Amino acid sequence: MKGVPMPTDRTSIMGIFSTEEQTASAIRGLHNTAFTLERVHSPIPSHTIADALKLPKSKVGWFTLAGGITGFFTGFLFAAFTATRWSLMVSGKPVVALVPFVIVGFEFTILFAVIGNVLGLISQARLPRFETVTSYDPRFTGHKFGILASCSAGEKSGLHHFFEAKGAEIKTDDNFKGPTGKTARGGRTT
Amino acid sequence: MNESALTYQSIDDTVIDTLTPPGRSYWVVVALLFCGVLMGAACWLYQIFTGIGVAGQNNPVHWGTYLINFVFWVGIAHSGTLISAILHLFRAGWRNPIARAAETMTVFAVCTAGLYPFIHLGRVWMVFYMLPFPNQRTLWPNFQSPLMFDVVAISTYLTVSSLFWFTGMLPDLAAIRDRATGVRRKIFTIISLGWTGEYEQWRHYTRGYLFFAALATPLVISVHSVVSWDFALGVVPGWHTTIFAPYFVAGAIHSGLAMVLTLMIPLRKLFHYEKIITVKVLESVAKTIVFTGLIVGFAYGTEIFIAWYSHNIVEMETFRWRMFGDYSVEYWIMVICNTVIPLLFLVKRVRTHIKWLFVISIFVNIGMWFERFVIIVGSVAHDFIPYAWGLYWPTWVEFGIMIGSFCLFFFLFVLFVKHLPSVSMTEMKETLHEGGAHAD
Repeated sequence: MKGVPMPTDRTSIMGIFSTEEQTASAIRGLHNTAFTLERVHSPIPSHTIADALKLPKSKVGWFTLAGGITGFFTGFLFAAFTATRWSLMVSGKPVVALVPFVIVGFEFTILFAVIGNVLGLISQARLPRFETVTSYDPRFTGHKFGILASCSAGEKSGLHHFFEAKGAEIKTDDNFKGPTGKTARGGRTT
Repeated sequence: MNESALTYQSIDDTVIDTLTPPGRSYWVVVALLFCGVLMGAACWLYQIFTGIGVAGQNNPVHWGTYLINFVFWVGIAHSGTLISAILHLFRAGWRNPIARAAETMTVFAVCTAGLYPFIHLGRVWMVFYMLPFPNQRTLWPNFQSPLMFDVVAISTYLTVSSLFWFTGMLPDLAAIRDRATGVRRKIFTIISLGWTGEYEQWRHYTRGYLFFAALATPLVISVHSVVSWDFALGVVPGWHTTIFAPYFVAGAIHSGLAMVLTLMIPLRKLFHYEKIITVKVLESVAKTIVFTGLIVGFAYGTEIFIAWYSHNIVEMETFRWRMFGDYSVEYWIMVICNTVIPLLFLVKRVRTHIKWLFVISIFVNIGMWFERFVIIVGSVAHDFIPYAWGLYWPTWVEFGIMIGSFCLFFFLFVLFVKHLPSVSMTEMKETLHEGGAHAD
């Protein structure tokens, strides 16, 4: 899937599906055509669709891991730092006491790992993002699945037929000519 | 009623219908709860201006209702994380309909609990002593103290559970945005962060959510363990025991599950969630309460056995006094409500009957509050030296603050259920069978 703006000689069509099987089937079908898969929308995280897309594993975990490691050392060293400001023996424990400071380190591990996780999620998923998304349909957060595919202007009719054959409802973007040659304003569905 | 009758659209409709502008009765309830909050705040202000002496805490019982309520509310919070994180990792599908409300309960319960250390301080402006920077005597906080573990643990827990709650809600906030108009749409556009359900978003979201659950699981166990060490690391008879951490964690989940039932049953009725929060879901909660109740009962028995087995006369006297002394009524309320009454859930007719579920959940809530009373007050009131023994009972100020805190919790929860989705639409859709049943 691509996130870069399309050249002006290209056009896109959104196929709207009712089930994840239909969606996955259309994605697999698109892989065997010259059309370009731009984007897929889903109301749920679907393994069927994920398998069809063959996407690489998310890198969010690396942010989480980095946060966790940073957190442990921050927590432990911070507790040690505060203890050494006075170097006072408390309860017969050494000034830099391993067991209690590991507890502080543990809590900081979780805290920083979660903060890393959130930063990883919002940076990788590119959130927040408030600009209008091409051919977005409000039903994508409800009960419909969507596939946005692009092709050269001359192949638009073929892409239209491809989606129809897969059982999709078609939505064209207002920037592009619909299959009948009329400009589709505000996202036209057929 | 079963989940197979549901569709993606009917789930959305049912949940989003609950967000329609509320009627007058709703606002009356909100106003009453707010009055309760104001009453609690007034009592606290009275205590601040008059002095901590207006509370009943004095020699030998310096830890009274404020610490009882702190531990109680932290405990209530725990089952939210159990349901949202631990049961998510175990792929227990029955947690999906109640996960959102349980997570919300966690956040609000931790907020309520977090007030009590401030209240208990008396001179609340001295709270900065707990913050990690040097005070006017250039002393830093000592992280060898379990009380400082607690500050770190509870702050972490509040931060993590709030982020977990908000992250889990993102797809649902977008679903509401896409059906809203006017100002509401603008608000939900901002708080949904521009979520569109693109697969690029789901790819990172599912991974992130999994890590959230994986991190929240050890956190929730550590937090109540740390709370238990506030007691167990002191050499007070009845406190100084190694079973406190698992005992507290089990008790926390026990009380939290009961509170889930207390909240879910009216919510289910008022919001017509019968198809979503099925009797089977409530039954699963009830079965888990039986399990946690047995663990808690085992802990009560172990405490008594070890006191006898140790031949430590102070420990033996502490537990004899708990059972037959001045607070014996509270002790037996604790035992009966937490371990005996939940056994009624072994009878299928009881655990599938809504009224029984609700009534028993109330009993467990009461029992768990008294458990904290028995542990905290029952130990320091009767420790090593008979000369120093004494009794404690809360004053009207403490009762006022306690009632205010309960009102605050329910006030926040009642506001939540009418303004944000109280059931996770996304997770409910995931539980449905794959196929075309959810189509228009």
